[in-house]
Amino acid sequence: MVTWALLWAQLFNGLVLGALLVLVAMGLTIVFGTLGIVNFAHGALYMIGAYAGYVAFLHTQSFILAMVSGAAVVLLIGVILERGLIRHYYARPPEDQILVTFGLAIVLIEIVRLIFGGISRRTDEPIWGNGVVNLGLLYYPRYQVEVLGIVTLVLIALYLVLYRTKIGLIVRAGIEDPLMVNILGINVTRTFLLVFGLGAMAAGFAGVINAPIVSVDPDMGAPILIQCFVVIVIGGVGSFWGAVAGGLIAGETLSLTTMVAPDYAQVMLFAAMAFILIVRPQGLFGVKTRQ
Amino acid sequence: MKGYSTQAPRRVPSLLPLIAVAVGLVIFPFVFPFLDGTIDVADRILVWGLFGLGFDILFGYTGLLSFGQAAFFGAGGFTTAYLLAGNITSSTILALLAGMAVAAVLGVIIGLLSLRRSGIYFAMLTLAFGEMLFFLENSPLRQWTGGENGLPGVPKPNLPLGFTTIELHSALAIYAFIAVLFFVGFWLARRIIVSPFGMVLRAIRENVERAGAVGHDVLLYKLVAFVIAAVYGGLAGGLLGLLQGYMPPDAFYLETSSQLIIQTVIGGAGTLIGPLVGAAIWLYLYQILQIVPGLGGAWKLILGLVFVILVTGLRQGIVGGILLVWRRRRARGGQAEAGAVQPIDDAPPPPRVKPDYTKPPILEARDLSKHYGGLLAVDKVSFSVVEGETRAVIGPNGAGKSTFFKMLAGAVQATSGDILFAGAPITGLDAARICQLGVVRSFQINQIFPHLTVRENITIAALARRRGKFRPDMLSRIDAVPGLDDLVRDTLAAVSLTARGDRRASDLAYGEKRRLEIALALATSPRVLLLDEPTAGMSPAERSDTVRLLKRIAAAMTIVIVEHDMDVVFELADRVTVLSEGRKIAEGEPVEIQNNPVVRAAYLGGETEYEPA
Amino acid sequence: MPEGGKKTLNRRHVLKAGAAASLLPFIHTGRAFAETPIGSWPAGVSGDTAFIGISTPLTGPYSADGADHLKGYQLAIEQLNNGGGIVSKLPHLSGKGVLGKKVIYKYADSQTQPNPAVQAQTTFINQDKAIMITGCLSSAVAVAVEKLAQREQVLNMVGCSGANETTGADCVRYGFRNQPSAYMADLALAPVLAKHLGRNLKAAYLVPDYVYGHSVFGTLSEAMDKKYGWKVAAKQIAPLGTNNFSSYLLNIANSGADVFINVTFGADAVSSTKQAKQFGLMDKMKQVQPNISAFLPDGVGAELMQDTYGTFDFWWTQSYKDPMAKIFVDDFMKKFNYNPRWAAHIGYTQMMFWAEAVERAKSFNPVKVIKMLESGFKLDLPGGETYYRAFDHQAVRAVPVVLGKKPSEMKSKDDYFEILDLVPGEDVMPPKGFQGCKLGPYI
Repeated sequence: MVTWALLWAQLFNGLVLGALLVLVAMGLTIVFGTLGIVNFAHGALYMIGAYAGYVAFLHTQSFILAMVSGAAVVLLIGVILERGLIRHYYARPPEDQILVTFGLAIVLIEIVRLIFGGISRRTDEPIWGNGVVNLGLLYYPRYQVEVLGIVTLVLIALYLVLYRTKIGLIVRAGIEDPLMVNILGINVTRTFLLVFGLGAMAAGFAGVINAPIVSVDPDMGAPILIQCFVVIVIGGVGSFWGAVAGGLIAGETLSLTTMVAPDYAQVMLFAAMAFILIVRPQGLFGVKTRQ
Repeated sequence: MKGYSTQAPRRVPSLLPLIAVAVGLVIFPFVFPFLDGTIDVADRILVWGLFGLGFDILFGYTGLLSFGQAAFFGAGGFTTAYLLAGNITSSTILALLAGMAVAAVLGVIIGLLSLRRSGIYFAMLTLAFGEMLFFLENSPLRQWTGGENGLPGVPKPNLPLGFTTIELHSALAIYAFIAVLFFVGFWLARRIIVSPFGMVLRAIRENVERAGAVGHDVLLYKLVAFVIAAVYGGLAGGLLGLLQGYMPPDAFYLETSSQLIIQTVIGGAGTLIGPLVGAAIWLYLYQILQIVPGLGGAWKLILGLVFVILVTGLRQGIVGGILLVWRRRRARGGQAEAGAVQPIDDAPPPPRVKPDYTKPPILEARDLSKHYGGLLAVDKVSFSVVEGETRAVIGPNGAGKSTFFKMLAGAVQATSGDILFAGAPITGLDAARICQLGVVRSFQINQIFPHLTVRENITIAALARRRGKFRPDMLSRIDAVPGLDDLVRDTLAAVSLTARGDRRASDLAYGEKRRLEIALALATSPRVLLLDEPTAGMSPAERSDTVRLLKRIAAAMTIVIVEHDMDVVFELADRVTVLSEGRKIAEGEPVEIQNNPVVRAAYLGGETEYEPA
Repeated sequence: MPEGGKKTLNRRHVLKAGAAASLLPFIHTGRAFAETPIGSWPAGVSGDTAFIGISTPLTGPYSADGADHLKGYQLAIEQLNNGGGIVSKLPHLSGKGVLGKKVIYKYADSQTQPNPAVQAQTTFINQDKAIMITGCLSSAVAVAVEKLAQREQVLNMVGCSGANETTGADCVRYGFRNQPSAYMADLALAPVLAKHLGRNLKAAYLVPDYVYGHSVFGTLSEAMDKKYGWKVAAKQIAPLGTNNFSSYLLNIANSGADVFINVTFGADAVSSTKQAKQFGLMDKMKQVQPNISAFLPDGVGAELMQDTYGTFDFWWTQSYKDPMAKIFVDDFMKKFNYNPRWAAHIGYTQMMFWAEAVERAKSFNPVKVIKMLESGFKLDLPGGETYYRAFDHQAVRAVPVVLGKKPSEMKSKDDYFEILDLVPGEDVMPPKGFQGCKLGPYI
């Protein structure tokens, strides 16, 4: 039965769900926006972030350090991948880029399985995230409320980087017109490395944040990657605000559907995407000229 | 024509691949056991190969990378399995056809929803729809599909022969059944590929914008290719259920779509047989790697690495690589033609006849405007061109010439205003339709089909003229299209590329590419030719060649030309329209324009180098 | 069609006949003689070895359980060939192979998908002449391999599979299942729940949206509601592969239930358990997980498993009281350095049971082995006394009902559960004709 209290609870829950999705989707959309590469290995990087966080937490018992090392490890892996492989693909057709990142995902997942095995790794929420908080109309996990705050802070930071710094200017210019970045004579090689690393780092960070909530196993990245695709297709690929809007729409769709027809939640998510595509093929915040 | 053969080489599809595949299919079950393979694995390889035939038409030939093929494999498979296991029909053939039909309908729906986007978007959309289908199979449709348990109890296939029905029970019989279907599927796929329809698909892969600009209804072709792939998938799914007596739910998994992609890439996309080879390698390695002691789950890591290396190093896959070597060797033995640029025909152009300005205009723009957000790119420009006229549109950089031009060709939609062709409005029509009416554009930056030969390039454009926007002539031959050969030959001759007919377009010299660019527009036999800076980037010699060429073209049709080079403009144009800051500031004969102070001021103000006549 | 039209073609003869055979019609009209081979018999045991085909997931969501499962098989096969373990305790086993033939095996990664499993087992049967096939880890794979076994007439000692269908709607003559079905587990759990938690309670169910989840919900809720006056306060159906259950858990938190019954499995169970804790459900409601994933406690920690009621196929502390279990657990520990989980137990048990049946039948002939297994002979195994029912091939044996220990009570790092009860199999068996099981023909 749907009550007002439950409706509010699910609306809030959708917000948290959405925020978690935005966090993962953001790295994906930035990389695509600037480099024109949809990174199918994004889910695998997210998974590696979670494992890095798990290992760091195991040894230091500090969640802050886990967050830092999760982001740092995946940043490092991202940089290595970009130097070693991805940069050879900038000039190749998008299909090749999809294929190579897709193959990379398999390799990364199976390497982690080889090292850590298939057992889900135990990761607890930090001490400061224990318990529930009373939000008036509902009780909600303290950690997830804090995550909402963390995501907001990260998004603000990212926004400032993108909209208030020179590197951000280049990234945004790249989103709007990749040719222009070349013409401007910017050191493209370094910028691309930086952007790919940034996207990877975002994935890794999201992995650590999610680790106390979901099962940490080698296959954890696959379902979230698909949801992220939905998020950025809804919002418009390459768009900052698109990822935010798409994530929130996806979160609310999942959350509200479970009130009336829980078994249709996933189907509704894809239906929402199809609907938006019919109405607005380029996504909510997408630029029409970019095919 | 200087001794060059003007005849196109016969395009009769070689029978060799068909014979090779037939022989291969017959001996495969007898050879495979010696390689530690089994008939069952052979059946599975063929099922994947059949699945891959359709996918290769979609991905290898049309260039559309779908991550959702599992949807069709599953939908077709479960339909077939449901009909047979539930005893709704006892006819294997009928059940397979029903499965293909369901896959086709699904293909139309998903295709319409996802084909409006291309590249990465298309990949993500198909992936999402594939997942959606999986959830539908698993939950709401559980009653019919058995949910995660799948559908057991699919009877062995039978073949009605009218007077009796043959039950196919032995492993070899089932293999034969699948092999015959594969062969038919392969034969059909080849017919599709070498048909005019298939040629258009390749054009879409090579350069989708140009394929539309020469008058093909790109979206419709893509949709049909998508549905063809879906039907192949549906058939393959149905066979999987028949082959093992059980329809597995993993037909719908994302892993199914990815495995298909990996196999196709390993084997070689755009070869039809590649997916089959890829499937053989995948299934064989899967089996072999498992036996290596202590390897366990690492087999997948190894296959993943092999895949990444192949994508990076051998882009054509294994079959593609073999074909490449084979073709190179043949090419070396055959024509050792010099690489000298073929000069343009130096016959003097016919004398210029003044157009008749009293006739009603053939192309007309009325108050045409285009806004980009707050930016006004073109502001209420009106102009009209009469039949036979050569009109130049000039203006400083950023004057809005390109936007104006794109609106005329239908590549950009006008914000307001009207465009009329021969008195009828064409505003809002897409490039393909406008081209079909007789207005075609050539591009400032070459938009050719790089991996196809020069002749194929022109054939693609000529096909649009001869066949219209769309024709599903999947089983006919290119040389069966009436008047095509003549049109291609004449066009090649007109731009003096006859001797270059069998060269890959990407191998041409720059000036030749430029001529091919114009030829692509010419081959659609337009009434109005829109030329966007035809001499851009040319050497002075090439430029004067091109001007001579354009003069000859101008004798046959109406031309609107955007050009920076004022020498070219004043040599060619009957009249000149000048745009500046989105507005029309002058119009008149070249001499008037040359002396117009407003025009001079605009060019100086625009800080553009002015090249005096 | 050539004259006669009816001819029995043996595949291998056809192969030998070479290319000319391809012109012959592919017609099959059943077997001509009673003495003709059955499936891979006797070809598979014509040498001095007997081949076993094993498929378990080594990649994908159940790779941990799959690896455990495989170790169980490996230990059993080693002991069958070389002696040791429970071999000497079982009446007919020699420790020198089975019927004097060395047991050999290959395994394949089923990736928890039916299709690769069927493909791998088909290859094992056709090429390696597998005399027995086994392994599993999801009901989908179990159903698929059951059908394959029946068609190919090769004995299938089903590995891990809890779905009712395996010995219900999809039961086959050639398949035998050791693991208690979901039905048995639920009926075993019900009285224990009533005893420890009380009657007339309200329960909220989190049900994964697939056949297995729905059948667990059906059996357990019916048993609790009818016999003990429980009520369903909420039934939340979550799609497979959900990673964030918060919206379902919110609904459950608001349902006013006394008991939270979590039916999810594998990685989904890890996620939902972590999140249930974060939503404070652990403090508000009693926890029940009808079928606990083997490695769930390792993924979420003992704190989250404490006071959780549930069932297992086997829990290693059964070895404290049962000498057979002790032998198995000690040997396993020695070889693999951790306590076996239930997937390993099933692999081990099924191998031993099969070997014993073959020795008793004095033949690898699958029909004779099946009849021997159907005769209902009882064996004392690590999981307790076990026998198979003739009419549905479900093993009758005890179901351990467990309760999660508090971390402070744990004696070792994986001493997660206390065994509340070993519910005798006879008390919880589904009735004859359950789900309309039809085993099918012997030949």
